[in-house]
Amino acid sequence: MDALLRDHLVSVVVFLPLAGAVLLLLLPRSAASAARNIAFGVSVLDLIVSVPLWTRFLVGVPGFQLRERIDWIPQLGITYNVGLDGISLLLVMLTTVLTPVSLLFSLTHVEKEVRGYSVAFLVLETGMLGSLVALDLALFYVFWEVMLVPMYFIIGIWGGPRRIYASMKFFLFTMSGSLLMFLAILFVAIRHHTATGAWSFALEDLTRMTFTGRVETYLFLAFALAFAIKVPVFPLHTWLPDAHTEAPTAGSIILAGVMLKLGAYGYLRFALPLFPDAAMRFAPWLGVLGVIGVIYGAMVAYAQHDMKRLVAYSSVSHLGLVVIGIGAFTTMSLSGSILQMVNHGLSTGALFLLVGVLYERRHTRELDAYGGIAAVVPVTTALFLIATLSSIGLPGLNGFVGEFTILLGTWLSPHRWWSAAAATGVILSAIYMLTLVQRVFWNPLVVEENRKLTDVRPSEFVAAATLVVLMVWIGVRPNDVLDRIRPAVESLQKSVAARQVALHESARPEISEVRR
Amino acid sequence: MGQYLPILVFAVLAAALPIGTIVIARAVQTRRPNAAKLEPYECGVEATTSAFDTRFSVRYFLIAVLFVVFDVETIFLFPWAVMFHRLGLFGLAEMLVFLAILVVGYFYCWKRKALDWA
Amino acid sequence: MTFAFHASDWLLLAPELFLTAMGLLLLGLSVALGKTKEDFLAFLATVSVGITGALVAFVATRPERATPILGGAFVVDNFALFFKALVLLSLALTVLASARYVGAAPYPGGEYYALLLFSGVGMLFMASGNNLISIYVALELMALSSYVLAGYFKAEPKSTEAALKYFILGAFSSGVLLYGLSLVYGAGGVMGLPELAKLLASASRSNLLMLGILLILAGLLFKIAAVPFHVWTPDVYEGSPTPVTAFFSVGPKVAAYAILARIFYVAFAKFHADWGFVVALVSAATMVLGNVAALLQSNVKRMLAYSSIANAGYALLGVLGFRTEWGLWGILIYLLAYTFMNFGAFTLIILLESKGYAGESVSDFNGLAKRSMPAAVVMLLFLLSLAGIPPTAGFIGKYYLFTAAMKAGYAWLAILAVVMSAVSLFYYFRIAAAMFFTEGSPAKLKSSYALSAVIAVCAVGTLVIGVVPQPFLEVLKSCVLGR
Repeated sequence: MDALLRDHLVSVVVFLPLAGAVLLLLLPRSAASAARNIAFGVSVLDLIVSVPLWTRFLVGVPGFQLRERIDWIPQLGITYNVGLDGISLLLVMLTTVLTPVSLLFSLTHVEKEVRGYSVAFLVLETGMLGSLVALDLALFYVFWEVMLVPMYFIIGIWGGPRRIYASMKFFLFTMSGSLLMFLAILFVAIRHHTATGAWSFALEDLTRMTFTGRVETYLFLAFALAFAIKVPVFPLHTWLPDAHTEAPTAGSIILAGVMLKLGAYGYLRFALPLFPDAAMRFAPWLGVLGVIGVIYGAMVAYAQHDMKRLVAYSSVSHLGLVVIGIGAFTTMSLSGSILQMVNHGLSTGALFLLVGVLYERRHTRELDAYGGIAAVVPVTTALFLIATLSSIGLPGLNGFVGEFTILLGTWLSPHRWWSAAAATGVILSAIYMLTLVQRVFWNPLVVEENRKLTDVRPSEFVAAATLVVLMVWIGVRPNDVLDRIRPAVESLQKSVAARQVALHESARPEISEVRR
Repeated sequence: MGQYLPILVFAVLAAALPIGTIVIARAVQTRRPNAAKLEPYECGVEATTSAFDTRFSVRYFLIAVLFVVFDVETIFLFPWAVMFHRLGLFGLAEMLVFLAILVVGYFYCWKRKALDWA
Repeated sequence: MTFAFHASDWLLLAPELFLTAMGLLLLGLSVALGKTKEDFLAFLATVSVGITGALVAFVATRPERATPILGGAFVVDNFALFFKALVLLSLALTVLASARYVGAAPYPGGEYYALLLFSGVGMLFMASGNNLISIYVALELMALSSYVLAGYFKAEPKSTEAALKYFILGAFSSGVLLYGLSLVYGAGGVMGLPELAKLLASASRSNLLMLGILLILAGLLFKIAAVPFHVWTPDVYEGSPTPVTAFFSVGPKVAAYAILARIFYVAFAKFHADWGFVVALVSAATMVLGNVAALLQSNVKRMLAYSSIANAGYALLGVLGFRTEWGLWGILIYLLAYTFMNFGAFTLIILLESKGYAGESVSDFNGLAKRSMPAAVVMLLFLLSLAGIPPTAGFIGKYYLFTAAMKAGYAWLAILAVVMSAVSLFYYFRIAAAMFFTEGSPAKLKSSYALSAVIAVCAVGTLVIGVVPQPFLEVLKSCVLGR
């Protein structure tokens, strides 16, 4: 057992939820409460097991740590090849935190097909964690697809009235993107095979390949499209509000908290190192789309009457900021983007959770159905307010650090005006989020039903409070996080820069491949 | 192409025979038609339908198919008989297998009442 | 001409001979027993297929199979053995999936199983066919049995219609194929594929030869239901008894691919530039039309018919990629995966079918998850695999085919195939949505041991090839033509 935890810690963290899901399948279907508790227990256990990842991770060391490598399909050169750097470490921790939080919320609010629900969540967790630690492109693709199916069911079975439409839209959008990525992966691997005579899907091997001209552009676009749909980058975002509106609360938390981040993560981990030249050429476009996303998302969010849709559009806006940071490509803006991914996971996760709390009591998310409930539900109000402040970037909370780092980092890049435009997005977010708080919690209490609202239950409180604690922690001690990000970001930049130089110094034939 | 000449000759002869007989019959026959002679059957009873509207029982079809099947199968016996000595024991065994399969088919048709007219 | 027949030839033909004998026995028993003891007949048929499988395994160990048999008419190389195994697999699945269905129908079962076995004999010979004549005769044996099977429910107008359409179009395509074979023979003067290859290696392009190759291609494309020779497929698949449809969608297609690959890899490889373009166009049209037409179907059998058309288009990528071993491997692994996943999906329809044609409309799948969670999950697995999503068998199959296409320089086709895979998600997931997201009849699902076994075998096959493909890929490696 000790040896397992010592040598295969990452695998244990990844596959523990899957093992839990298999265990649940052995239960009778009617054992709803047992299923609930087991699922929650497994996710908490996974969180506990994942803490050593954080402590054993060596701060300040570039490259991947806690590596594991086993041949999976030797004939095709596909390996089970996993490891962590600062970026994946943070997102892995975010996942292991958000899954128990959302399951804790579901403990009291899901009655339909509890066993299936729990299984779906645990499989989803394995899919997300696997995508985050995979260092083999084929393995990554497998996890990436595994992740989609449970989310399809979570939205489609436990969602709102238009759930079938929303789940289909979610599934088809993300799947069409990733199929093209699959083809691009295959193409890169075939090129590697022709060049070296060996099959490999390992990221390290494939990044040694160099593509130029049109080929690189097409490959890059195939990858970028898959990831941009996931983020989602404007104008590919239309599936997101539908999916969020219809998804059950816990599904929204995971969707916004982790799955959207995987788009940005995939871009940083795969698209950038594999096709640095094209990525740099398209970076300005990415930044512009990010700017459009920030402002468009904010404006549409302001126009919403449904709380959940509002938070969903705020996600489009906030992730636009992350995209700007990636497009600017300075050390600081990249670090900010990665930090902001975590922040957004925490704050939006908390917002969705608290919207869910209100929804479970009143069964409506219309802004007009609420108003003046601050006195009725003081704890909910306090938690909601903290999450809002975190989301709009109040100093002292996590959001401020992330947004500020991105804005400053972008200002230092050649694209200063993005920074200016993004700043307006930050201001707009303050406007619509505070309006939301105002209309829901403060304004006069007109709807009589609201007087009978009950405050958060203990389980809901624990779930939300966990997130609030983390917000404050990152807000106060951002360097705990930033120190882990920086080496990863620097090595990413270094590798991109090095390969770009190599590319421009070489004679640049139409198709050149690095031969070892 | 020369080797195909016999086939051509054969084809021409095959076509010439039916056409020839019809033409010759036309040429030498005497024709004195009257109403009774033009009837489909000259039997004294007035015909109820025309010659081309007669419906046959589907059983004729079955019989015809069976005839063709078993008739064509016997054709395979001829080349075997011609080559009997060269094919030897192998050929004999092969032909017995062939006939056995045919017998199973015959047995099947018989038992499934394909040969009954009832 | 010399007659070089050896006793060992018979030994190598043991599987085919045994299966023929069992087919004849079943035919005899069918008249002797009538409508009684059909379970026994089904059992006998299953056992026959099993023993035939054992005989194939035995043949695989014989060293004599290195040389072609019966004067070069047949060859028992690894490629043939792989296809024989595949044919027997689909045959065994069909027999098991038919037992309940045929037992409930008012038609004698012995003939049904006998016809299945005869069709199987034809396919076994097709897998080995090494000579234009032997290939054609084997194909006709398979096809004629299939026509009758399609019309097996002879009192059902739909079934009769299916049989008639299948027969007329099938006979026409066989004629086209035969015409092509005769032209190629006319151009080369030899019948054996290796001899033909040797002859064509030094031959120059001639219009006669090209026409012959194109006609052979057209005849075979009909059998695999590629556009524009696909029009019969939906009607035949819809009208035939469902186990027969399941059989049609895998068995004959698999066998037709065996001869398509053998003829075009061995004999016509030299003229790749001429037929490659045609096959590429056909493949593209097949993928597009199959997937787009499937979108519009509300009958699951028709939907799967179009899906199988689309799948034929994917597999054609393997025919195009013949220059590297990937093309051949792609065909083999994809057809193996396809047999499991497609047969599994059809078996689910049989399971839902209680009387007549129920289970055929998408809405019959409504609420399946409520009625039986395992059935719904397994169906989902088959759908995911058909759509090519990892970690399932369909993904590994597409992986090989796409690699083959890209290695052969048909990247545009691979892209089209991927786009069409995305389109296919629409209709596959209509069934998934119906199963999981909507309410349906609360009636309990009645299964039988045989049906459960078929579904289990298909599910395990689909999953195992997807998760631990290594052993299968090792087998593939040895499956090269002529060895």
